[in-house]
Amino acid sequence: MNSLFQMRHVTKKFGGLEAVSDFSITLKGGELVGLIGPNGAGKTTTFNMMTGMLRPTEGEITWNGENITRVPSHLITARGIARTFQNIRLFGDMSVVENVMVSCHYSIGSSFLAAMLGLPKHRKEERRIREHSIKCLEEAGLGRFAFEKAQNLPYGLQRKLEIVRAIATGPGMLLLDEPVAGMNPTEKIELSVFIHRIREKSGITILLIEHDMKFVMSMCQRIRVMNYGRTIAEGTPEEIRSNLEVISAYLGGAPHAQD
Amino acid sequence: MSDKSKFRLNAASVILLFGILFLFSRYGSGYQLRILNNIAIFITLAVSYNLINGTCGLLHLGPNGFIAVGAYTSALLSMTPAEKQLNFIISGVIWPLSVIHVPFVVSLIAAGVAAAFFAFLISFPVLRVRGDYLAIVTLGFGEVIRVLCNAGQSITNGPLGLKGLQPYTNLWWSWGVATLAVVLIQRLTDSNFGLAMKAIREDETAARAMGVDPFRRLMVAFLISAFFSGIAGGLLAHLITTISPGLFTFFLTFNLLIMIVVGGLGSTTGAVIGAMLFSWGGEALRVVEQPMEIGPFLIPGIPGMRMVIFSLILMLVILFARKGIMGRNELSWDYVASKFARSKVMETPR
Amino acid sequence: MSLTLFLQQIINGISLGSLYALIAIGYTMVYGILRLINFAHGDLLMVAAYVAIYGISLLSLPWYLAFPFAIIVTGVIGILLDRVAYRPLRGAPRISLLISAIGASFLMENLALVLIGGVAQPFPRPAFFSHVIDVGNLHILVLTIYSPIITLLLVLGLLFIVFRTKTGKAMRAASLDFEATRLMGINLDRIIAITFLLGSSLAAAGGLMWAMKYPQINPFMGVLPGLKAFIAAVVGGIGNIVGAVLGGFLLGLCEILIVALLPDLAEYRDAFAFLILIVVLLFKPTGIMGEPLAS
Repeated sequence: MNSLFQMRHVTKKFGGLEAVSDFSITLKGGELVGLIGPNGAGKTTTFNMMTGMLRPTEGEITWNGENITRVPSHLITARGIARTFQNIRLFGDMSVVENVMVSCHYSIGSSFLAAMLGLPKHRKEERRIREHSIKCLEEAGLGRFAFEKAQNLPYGLQRKLEIVRAIATGPGMLLLDEPVAGMNPTEKIELSVFIHRIREKSGITILLIEHDMKFVMSMCQRIRVMNYGRTIAEGTPEEIRSNLEVISAYLGGAPHAQD
Repeated sequence: MSDKSKFRLNAASVILLFGILFLFSRYGSGYQLRILNNIAIFITLAVSYNLINGTCGLLHLGPNGFIAVGAYTSALLSMTPAEKQLNFIISGVIWPLSVIHVPFVVSLIAAGVAAAFFAFLISFPVLRVRGDYLAIVTLGFGEVIRVLCNAGQSITNGPLGLKGLQPYTNLWWSWGVATLAVVLIQRLTDSNFGLAMKAIREDETAARAMGVDPFRRLMVAFLISAFFSGIAGGLLAHLITTISPGLFTFFLTFNLLIMIVVGGLGSTTGAVIGAMLFSWGGEALRVVEQPMEIGPFLIPGIPGMRMVIFSLILMLVILFARKGIMGRNELSWDYVASKFARSKVMETPR
Repeated sequence: MSLTLFLQQIINGISLGSLYALIAIGYTMVYGILRLINFAHGDLLMVAAYVAIYGISLLSLPWYLAFPFAIIVTGVIGILLDRVAYRPLRGAPRISLLISAIGASFLMENLALVLIGGVAQPFPRPAFFSHVIDVGNLHILVLTIYSPIITLLLVLGLLFIVFRTKTGKAMRAASLDFEATRLMGINLDRIIAITFLLGSSLAAAGGLMWAMKYPQINPFMGVLPGLKAFIAAVVGGIGNIVGAVLGGFLLGLCEILIVALLPDLAEYRDAFAFLILIVVLLFKPTGIMGEPLAS
């Protein structure tokens, strides 16, 4: 899939506060890019704009040649961009497999009438969705939890489930918001293996926000650094590691330019 | 348990149900028939209401409006022009209502369609908001419809209402519709569409992120709920043979709320149980409002005591047993089978 | 319509609006802190009216003692309402609170029905409020003029409490951030109780004036005015006290003027309030004073 994602001069203002300023980025098919920066730098706000949850004040977002700046979030998912959330937002009261089956809803081929009447066409769709969901779970090693309530899973597996749920929508690009937050080192390694496997299998583009520097440096081909809503650096992990502005942004040492 | 066994069990239960109804229709008293019809109509209403408030998680406080639309539509279509002339003594009824006269079943379907149409119209403002705002807007619409019925002299005969409707509703109609409502709505809830609705209920933002379109899904639930409520309204009209705007106040919504909360918000089985309890309980509690003779004492009846008791029950349930009887669970054949299986295992010698 | 008639209606509208304003304040204060629509608030009108009647008839109190007595009792009942129906549900989902409120409302109404009976009772209007003033061609009941004045005085008193006292500051803090206020060591339950006390007392005052204005009282008399006052609160911007007052006056004026200018539509009078509500919720859900919506 040759998917191209672009943001051009995107700005987001909340009243007088400019949360994101003149942000531009290009993501090519299959890339694994990291988005880092201190808390409040505007990373999640950027994610929210990419997925249609917030509307940019200025600027343009395109995906596969289409302008998606004003497209609502459920349609953006249908167009192939999926995400996970900083704070886990699973459907806690529903079972693990049900959480994944929700992701298949937008592509269901039968109508609600067919569902109510129990028509064969609908039952076929239900079977397809169920099989697809169980397959996604098994590939992620969550198969045996399929009928557990999502909120009963241990924390690390809940985070994994969030990713499985997003992948089940069949995206061309995946946005991961702090995927390893709160995990112990073993879980982090497991998750990074999982993410690599996803990339190998489907070649999707991945953009991830993280605070764990080791994780980001080891996983990402390219890293973009934000502070106060602006890009302050971009480059390979080696370049970023030794970038003085980035260091001072995190440690708050030398004064840095802010507008 | 296999799907085939479940289907057989379901079919057997339905046959059993209608067998029992047949016996009642032959040998039951008028009083018993009326209660059974009442129960069936309330089952339909409760199950439709639960679809919105329970499965979708929206606090919809205007079902009384849809029931009114259904009742009046069905009544106006099924009455003969002569009957209408008898009723509309203040001002004649407008054309084409003055000449239209259709069979009962057509009037029922029209009732459902009319209610669904109203639901479609108001879904645009209603589904723009959530939470308390949605509650108040739906409450408002329910009231507006009632006021319109009260004031629309030449369509609804205003406060006088419509009298002398033919008692078309019998056990077959009411329980037939109830069975249909339960089956169809349960199928919808169990399907992937139901999952989408529950996801919206759990976390709408996350649901959107997974591709679910809340507006379209909720609108479908809204229309289906209104459709069955409208038909139930028509059945109600032809059961009690007299309708007036005073029948469709917020009080009716309150009754439905009690049923689904006590039964378990989010459970179709719960809605059925709640409807049965309330309908039966309402009749049983009438006792409290009549004078009673206990030995040599005559205890005077207390009108209004029923509602006090019901309000207390609602409050106690919501304060101490919020999940109601069923919670969000359904009674399923698998559950029943597991109960039998366990006792079987205990009987087998080791 | 003649000028005098029009003026008469304006005055009626402002008077009615002042009553809606008093009742609306209670809704808006409770919603501001608890994010709860207190369905039972309107029924406090009824409670105040009946307590006043019994104060006068059973306790033989003169009206200037019976009325404050009724207001205090109603205020206390407001506190009890929170204690029994809302406090146990502090962390519960909103739908549970709403259902509890509806249940409490129905309970109060039907309890009154059972205890007092459904027959409408006449409310004694003291002579103080019963004079009729003649200004040119206008005949105005003095109560009609007193209502807005009393309302304004009470509102000023309330605004003083809310904006110039420590308790008021705590109330404002609680309406902005419930959790943070608790973390600051403020006794939230006490603040909430005071909120209910103030809101219910104002509603009681409104209820007494309502009962004097429409002197036939029954257990369900609070339903419609309560609903309309709630609409007024929403129109003015729910959570905002000044908004509630503005909304109340606006609604009162609209209701009287629409019926005066379009007498054929008098039967739809109650529906108008709901239509105004729906229109506001569609186009500016945050109301006139535009408090930010709690999403």
